[in-house]
Amino acid sequence: MGTGLGLGVGIAALGVGIGLGLIGNGALQGMARQPEAIGKLQTAMLIALAFVELVFLLTVFVAPFLIK
Amino acid sequence: MDAFLINGPSIFASADAMSAKEPSIWGLGAYIAFVLVILLVLMSYAKKGLSVRVFKNPVTSLFEQLYLFIENMCVSSIGQHGRKYIPMMMVFWLMIFVGNIVALLFPFAPTADLSFNLGMALIAVCYVQYEGVRANGLLGHLKHFTGPKLSGAMVAISGLIFTIEIISELMKNVSLSLRLYGNIHGGHLAVEAMNQLGNKIYVPLGVLVLLLIKLLTCLVQALIFTMLTCVYLSLVTHHSEDHAEEGHTATAH
Amino acid sequence: MSNSQKSSGAPPALLYVAGLVLMVGGTYASLNLKIEAIEKLNEQGLPLDLGKTVAVIGVFLILFPAIKSFFLNPLTEAIETRNHQLEDTFSEAENLRAEMHKLRTDYEARLAETEAEARFQIQNQIKEAQNLRQQLMTEAAERADALVRQAQMEIEQEKTQAIATIRTHVVDLTLAAAEKVIGENMDTDKNRRLIAEFMDTVEVAS
Repeated sequence: MGTGLGLGVGIAALGVGIGLGLIGNGALQGMARQPEAIGKLQTAMLIALAFVELVFLLTVFVAPFLIK
Repeated sequence: MDAFLINGPSIFASADAMSAKEPSIWGLGAYIAFVLVILLVLMSYAKKGLSVRVFKNPVTSLFEQLYLFIENMCVSSIGQHGRKYIPMMMVFWLMIFVGNIVALLFPFAPTADLSFNLGMALIAVCYVQYEGVRANGLLGHLKHFTGPKLSGAMVAISGLIFTIEIISELMKNVSLSLRLYGNIHGGHLAVEAMNQLGNKIYVPLGVLVLLLIKLLTCLVQALIFTMLTCVYLSLVTHHSEDHAEEGHTATAH
Repeated sequence: MSNSQKSSGAPPALLYVAGLVLMVGGTYASLNLKIEAIEKLNEQGLPLDLGKTVAVIGVFLILFPAIKSFFLNPLTEAIETRNHQLEDTFSEAENLRAEMHKLRTDYEARLAETEAEARFQIQNQIKEAQNLRQQLMTEAAERADALVRQAQMEIEQEKTQAIATIRTHVVDLTLAAAEKVIGENMDTDKNRRLIAEFMDTVEVAS
């Protein structure tokens, strides 16, 4: 059980890491191109980060239900 | 220690270990009271500095900065009528932030408790629904859930959209509470795990390495909770914005 | 503004009572009630306790109006009064600046006016002086002309007078000379006439 959970959490972390990196990439590019829009971009970026992060947390908390 | 590494952090451990970690309602109440006492002390200290024209008191000026920040957040995401939600956002922000700071230094904290977070999320989402009903009327608010206007046989799709929207509203609760709980509780677990790694050389590795990241998490989680509540409010009260805007300008001129 | 500051329609007292009820109820539920589904969740590692949640909702219902009236309202008030004061100061400064600007423009206008007047007067004076000079010069020239004419007239008069005198003297001299030369028995009147005729011819010749 532990191994399966570890594997699942690892895969989730992999995907979420890629997602967070993409968000950071996009936000930084936008900020570099339009420094005056930094405030709005930060807000949107944080919200997107929160949603991506949630996927990982859901994985962590839902995984024990699926493995029985 | 070997058992810990194989079984992973205690989130995957057996139920007895969990129940041992989770305090009863009296423990939670004590921690909430602790947070409230911190807030009360800070506020009554900051209140003394209010009478001066320029806020020299550092705590007062910190609170002022926070107020301006939250005002900016509310106004930029909801609009001019978002100003009335500032007190609520302030209370949420302060409770979450101080709770998170307590979580940094103590083994338990209000925000590390899923029930506490679920309570806050319920308040936030229910308040959002209440505001939506107040702004658009009950029917208007329900119509808001059915998506775009469809005719004929497409009404079935409207029903489907309605169901999905209701589920997503319920998921808002789960997402708000679980995010906060996962971040703070997960931070605790990560610190514990890293501490166990450093046990061999008698260094509290987790505390040293993760403290700054956890501090950042404290700030960001408080920010995200309030910001998401603002966004939900703006989604719900968006239609009435034009009227409110008009009324505001009409009274202003 | 103050109307829109009110966050909800519910009065604080109602919120306090509801919060207290929820707190007590939540505590009771947390201690006594066990729900199957929640127990299952707890076994899976989600430490959820709905009694705690209800109690927390109660705490927050009390907390919102309490913190609002204890701290947030004074803070908002202080910030707003400060902003108003700042705005007042700014508008005052703006007024003062406008007033100063007006004074300066007034002053400049008056200065320009005075300058124009002075220039006008100076020019007037110069013109007057020029006129006066012209007048004086013409007057002087007239007077000089008159003097010259009078002098010429006098000279003419003197000349004719002198010529007449010289003529009589010449006649007398000639007569005396002729008397001496010719002697006594001579018709003086006839001679005199002859000489006069001669003198006329002489005069014509000269």
